[in-house]
Amino acid sequence: MKLFLNSLLLCFFVFSFEAEARTKEERQAAKAAREAKEPPFPEGLKPYPEVKPAPPVAVDAELVLSRQQIANAAAVIDQHIANGLAKAEVKANPAASEEALLRRLYLDIIGRIPSDDEADRFFSNRDPDKVGNLIDELLVSDGYRSHQFTWMGDMLRHKSEGARRGDFALYDRWLKDQLKMNRPWNEVVYEMLTAKGSLATSGPAGYLMRDPGMPLDNLANTLTIFLGANVSCAQCHDHPLAQWTQQEFYEMAAFFGSSEVSARDPRKISKNLATNALSKQDLIKVVAQNMASITELGAQELVYPEDYAYDHAKPGDPVVPMLLSWGGDDFKGAAYQVDTEDPTELRNSFASWMTHPENPRFATTIANRLWKKNFGIAVQEPVEDMDDPRLASNPALLAFLGQIVVAAKFDLREYQRVLYHTKAYQAEASVTPAIGDIDDYPFPGPVLRRMTAEQAWDSIQTLIAGTKIDSYETDYSHYVTKFAFPFDDFSEEEIYNTALAMKASGYLTKKERQRGLDLRASALPQPERPDHFLRMFGQSSRELIDDGSLEGNIPQTLVLMNGEIQEMVSARDARLIRKAKSLDSMDDQVEFLYLSFFSRKPTEKESDRIKQAMEEGTSVPDLAWVLFNTPEFLFVQ
Amino acid sequence: MKLDTDLSRRRFVERIAKSALGLTVLPTIGYTADGARGPGFGKAKNIIFLQARGGMSHVDTFDPKEGGSKGPADAISTSADFRVTSYLPETAKVADRLSVIRTMTAKIGVHGPAQYFMRTGFAERTTVKHPNLGAWAQHYLGSSHETLPSSACINDGPRYGNGFFEPSFSPIPIHNPMTGLKNVDVSGGAGQLKEKLDLAQDLSVDFMDKYPDANVSAYREFYDNTLRLLRSEDLSAFDITQEPDAVRERFGMGQFGQGCLLARRLVQAGVRYVEVSSEGWDMHNTLEADMEEVAPSFDQAYAALIQDLEANGLLESTLVVLATEFGRKPTWGGKGRGHYPLCFSTVLAGGGVKGGYVYGASDAEGRLPDKPTTVEDFHATIGWAAGMPIEEPYVTSTGRPFQVGGADAKVVHDVFA
Repeated sequence: MKLFLNSLLLCFFVFSFEAEARTKEERQAAKAAREAKEPPFPEGLKPYPEVKPAPPVAVDAELVLSRQQIANAAAVIDQHIANGLAKAEVKANPAASEEALLRRLYLDIIGRIPSDDEADRFFSNRDPDKVGNLIDELLVSDGYRSHQFTWMGDMLRHKSEGARRGDFALYDRWLKDQLKMNRPWNEVVYEMLTAKGSLATSGPAGYLMRDPGMPLDNLANTLTIFLGANVSCAQCHDHPLAQWTQQEFYEMAAFFGSSEVSARDPRKISKNLATNALSKQDLIKVVAQNMASITELGAQELVYPEDYAYDHAKPGDPVVPMLLSWGGDDFKGAAYQVDTEDPTELRNSFASWMTHPENPRFATTIANRLWKKNFGIAVQEPVEDMDDPRLASNPALLAFLGQIVVAAKFDLREYQRVLYHTKAYQAEASVTPAIGDIDDYPFPGPVLRRMTAEQAWDSIQTLIAGTKIDSYETDYSHYVTKFAFPFDDFSEEEIYNTALAMKASGYLTKKERQRGLDLRASALPQPERPDHFLRMFGQSSRELIDDGSLEGNIPQTLVLMNGEIQEMVSARDARLIRKAKSLDSMDDQVEFLYLSFFSRKPTEKESDRIKQAMEEGTSVPDLAWVLFNTPEFLFVQ
Repeated sequence: MKLDTDLSRRRFVERIAKSALGLTVLPTIGYTADGARGPGFGKAKNIIFLQARGGMSHVDTFDPKEGGSKGPADAISTSADFRVTSYLPETAKVADRLSVIRTMTAKIGVHGPAQYFMRTGFAERTTVKHPNLGAWAQHYLGSSHETLPSSACINDGPRYGNGFFEPSFSPIPIHNPMTGLKNVDVSGGAGQLKEKLDLAQDLSVDFMDKYPDANVSAYREFYDNTLRLLRSEDLSAFDITQEPDAVRERFGMGQFGQGCLLARRLVQAGVRYVEVSSEGWDMHNTLEADMEEVAPSFDQAYAALIQDLEANGLLESTLVVLATEFGRKPTWGGKGRGHYPLCFSTVLAGGGVKGGYVYGASDAEGRLPDKPTTVEDFHATIGWAAGMPIEEPYVTSTGRPFQVGGADAKVVHDVFA
């Protein structure tokens, strides 16, 4: 039922957007004008069918592990942390207050603050296991998937639009579907690395297509993201510190040497084929998503670069694929037993090795990254460099976290569930250590941190519109899939006719995508435009891995003080103000606002100070402004 | 890969760095006999730092070649006695105001780390964040204005610009020069604003006491700085719509052109250091088409900036830096060029540098420089021009000494007039 409602809502939103732009009469007039201008359908061509979104996938809302299994794993983590604290002679923080923990759980699991109702419900619940139940409830909700998508987007540098007019809407939809189905991380990554097809036909192809024509850069990113291998320097020369050699880098790159991740430029062919009936821009729209494709070459074609400076090979020599190792007996492990010779299997072999449960780094890398997402600091910093696990602040803990990921069969939801159940997570937050001490932080508790840009945006939407925002989705994949045709098998004439028929079928009519309010960051363009709230608060430009920022600056402060978003929070028709005004007494109003912004009741001192201000003329919207502009709102305790 | 047997070379290197704080031998070149600093020192009261992001191909712009390296464009003559490619016809007209450094060299060929390196003069590390030149200048020379920020960055986020200095040294980001600084209208007036902020302060006391956190106090400081800015008489510096249309069009109406114009307005108003990003220089596969898209608006804006600063009497006191994270592979195969940090070009103009000058040369193919200039040297050179005591280390709270461009950087004195 819920699923059905979601898709209804989705349709409603897509249509309402177009509808609200004009009145009925204007629409009819525009339609008549369009029909008058439109030429008759080209002779001999078949019209294309109307485009509809693909049906939604089924949501997996079943947790797998028993509460006892979760508790056992959490206890081992707490023991490792206790050992680390003893060694560092630091005392664990006391347990967080239930108010602070509630707010933190909402922000970390579903990416927004709890509403006043949600907070009320939690505080009035007398069940001794209410924290555990809340964790489990949040983990299967829409909000969890929204937040997890945003987190992945920063890591994967996900962009709605890529190079050469590439449209990544199908990839976007695919990533979101994987989260809905709660697919295991190793399977998701395997599909991304082995995808074939174009941006119009394959969702997972979006991963490799992020760096078209740049296989070396893409590989450096792949190794960094999924294995924490700090190889980027080895692309051009032996790494000065981490000891990766350029040879090792090229041997890894050879696994992608029999695949072509196309960087073909849609502008050229479109320019050649353009006519009065079909412009260059029209043609680009139709061909670009098909030209952006991954194909197999049948042979490994990577050679050493022209400036290769080491003795064992000359520039131009073919590279022999070889898996990298971190030393020891790595090569004897099960992960390494893959075919490195058959050129048609190279990418599959690489992906099998990388996502194998016994790969020396794959499980610990994602474990470490998700630890950072929830504790504010990783067990090993930086997450992009896990080459020497002895440098982790707590190597035994890190190793155990990797084991949990493997034992949970790469179910990231179950893994995080364990983290949320630890005493360490549920302790009071610490202040941020000095930058030089971050790699030795012993985790007496999580770290106080500013909300991410997306958490701030989603929290503000909650204040304005309520919790229904979690279920609003956007899906534009059908705007891309509609252009799919076998471009590479077609003659230029066939390509031209296809484009013409698509145009005549209305495929090139601009479809607006939604922007604006009521949508969570995960449903907005990735990333938002540079002067959007999200970007001003540090949303990554998605050019670099993990490039979101939590730093303050003057324009941010101006947004909080005078911005549009501020006006909306304290607008009369915002949910927040409407509900506050419906309450009778000043006490109730103040209590409601505190619950909404901070998930707690005001202290007596605070109540008195507010009452005094209100008697002197401070209004309810003014008070909303004030609470919005305190650090307690923007920071996650 | 093999791991070191002792714990880690990285930590070892850090320990050495910590203990190395001792006497620095003062350089002699560039100083007069009585120890005073020589030509160019402190001439640049302002700095505009243009960054061509993606890696500008030296061979296709400021270091044209013949033979196997030559790209799609021919070399053209300029108002000086050096040549640029035909992608830069407007720049050619102001060449007599430029000092081109054709001998830049580096080892980092990956965008993120290389941009960080070019922006700070230090390789990216996990244990410390390094400041940009604007923050260094604010540290050594103080704030450049009472109410305006001392540095700004246009078309990009601030990304740790303050480095190890306090957060308020971070540049003010202007993501879109056309809209400038948004949200500066205070509803209800200044009096009401103060009342509300006082109340916010009172209601934050418990939280601030509980968390003596550097990030939290930095937020409070931003509120103070914001209030000062809102009261500033020079706030309109951020508004380029106050420029005549003819001036705006001369710079070009694109993001980079308007960014350069905003940089000039800010410098004119007293903002010392302004970064402006130009996007789209990463030309791997379709260099010719990409150049045709990116170069014209860049060329127009860059030349307009030099001419405009000169017409306003600001060029003498303003150093215009054109930098990029690396060059591109000299071998031309007809499609595009890969990353190439071993040899590339940067350009300086105004602020006491020579006009119509080329420092050093690359070989016939554009592969290696004859007088290698490191990114560290480049930073020290800018620091010198700005009048920073670059040989004096700043010691961070954890006891690590840092200098502009690092301890081994050498100022390129030849570029100064």
